[in-house]
Amino acid sequence: MTDQLGALTTIFTEFYYWVTVVLMFLIHVGFCMYEVGASRYKHHQHTLMKNTMLIPLVTVTWFFFGWWIYWAFPTGPGIAPSIMNESAALITDESTFSAKWYAPNTEFMAVNLGDHISGVFWAAFLLFSWTAASIVSGAIIERITTFAFGILAIAIGSVFWTIDAAWGWHFDGWMLKILGYHDAYASGVIHAIAGGFALGVLVVLGPRIGKFSSSGEPRNIGPRNPWLVTVGLFLIYTGFWGFYAACNIPIFDLGPEYGMEGVTYWTATNIYVTPTTLSGITFNFLMSLSGGLLAGYWIAKGDPFWTYSSGLAGVICASAGNDLYHPIQAMIIGMIGVVIAYKLHYWVERKFKIDDAVGAVAVHGYAGFVGLVICGFVLNGYPSSGYSVGAMWDGSTYASINPLGQFLGAIIMFGVLGMLPGYIIAKVLSGMGKLRIPREVEIAGLDYEMMESAKEDEKAVSSATR
Amino acid sequence: MATVTNWIDHLSAKEVVGAVYPGAGSSETLLVIIGIVLWIGWHVLTNRSESEELSRLARKKRGANDYKSNVADW
Repeated sequence: MTDQLGALTTIFTEFYYWVTVVLMFLIHVGFCMYEVGASRYKHHQHTLMKNTMLIPLVTVTWFFFGWWIYWAFPTGPGIAPSIMNESAALITDESTFSAKWYAPNTEFMAVNLGDHISGVFWAAFLLFSWTAASIVSGAIIERITTFAFGILAIAIGSVFWTIDAAWGWHFDGWMLKILGYHDAYASGVIHAIAGGFALGVLVVLGPRIGKFSSSGEPRNIGPRNPWLVTVGLFLIYTGFWGFYAACNIPIFDLGPEYGMEGVTYWTATNIYVTPTTLSGITFNFLMSLSGGLLAGYWIAKGDPFWTYSSGLAGVICASAGNDLYHPIQAMIIGMIGVVIAYKLHYWVERKFKIDDAVGAVAVHGYAGFVGLVICGFVLNGYPSSGYSVGAMWDGSTYASINPLGQFLGAIIMFGVLGMLPGYIIAKVLSGMGKLRIPREVEIAGLDYEMMESAKEDEKAVSSATR
Repeated sequence: MATVTNWIDHLSAKEVVGAVYPGAGSSETLLVIIGIVLWIGWHVLTNRSESEELSRLARKKRGANDYKSNVADW
């Protein structure tokens, strides 16, 4: 960096993403608090450690191959040609945004004086990966082995979500070109896929002992510590500010980027490099959060667990189009998403005997799916990219946003890349006898031995007088 | 191992080399292999200890409320 303006822009962008990463850490703090608060005392410590250990597992695998997948797979491969090299193969050539530079043994995946962005951008995406894995973690508490969860966390956090991000989030992604897919703040790319993945695992894993009566009636196993659950959700809200900011590019000159001769237009953009403002998405974040809370309080009759979760579901449902919606549209969409997710949760639970311990499939999966579909109608006709405008199925240009494309996109996110792999991997782990803890352990409590071994010390301390 | 031994020489070169970590340009692939071995090894070791812990506890056949006797001090 030899000129001051260029240096300022680069270092501002570097610092911007760095701050989003710090904020997004709060999402994981929140998820850990929420899960422990939702679990029973005899499972607390294992529940906490299961979610905590996804941090290193997803991080190292994201370094080894997750980040490479994101840059290699936008073309499918074989579905639509790249705008960078006009090939539909994996992007591993010499071009600027090639996966070649993001293999773990390259000089850009380390301290490099010539590259101020790769590490912070890698980390911002990594925090999305943790979120995806953590969403799955909550649904399956108190009966899955830590080993199985580790494998599942790596699968969703470092493989399947990064494929969907390459397809539907990358500026060169085939879903933008062929379907006109639009998902600015990840209704589908993170939430629908993680919710679908969790549902696929739950089908194989089965419910907790006692969740259903002998006649099949569901029983409520409510949060054991409502304070921990609700404060955890508050922290997730807080972390979502970082999530939204991380989905933007903070400062970018779109004139030369779009090939507009003589035009200079500096703006913030969304992940697709189309213009939006941090100010605008702040309106929409808060209004969709409010819509979710209002609808949740009403439909759940003031139940704190569902009301807080509904705030999150409201944001998640509006996220696909929150770069362009009017704030009141965002609020109404958040409300619709909450009502559908809440109703679907109980219908699925009763009909298919699915025990989603924290409502993760509903809050993330159903609300995300519905959000994508609604976005197709509300933003119908907007360009999915600034680089060109074309027709659906064309493949070489970018289709406009449309209802059918968004619906197909929702199915790809929730079903094809979410539920199906979750189901298959869980089946394999179950076949190996590695998926579910023994029945006796579930009854006794995962923490039994840990607590028993500390008992004598605790007794001595509690009876001590000096 | 040091990639940089004099910052003035390094930054005043005609073309500044960006990678400044120890072993730049020669050790990356080996480091990745070591990292992958550590990662896979961790799964193997923790899977083994978890399986032992679960089967030991399963054999004891504790009741649903037995854990309460292990809570000595609130």
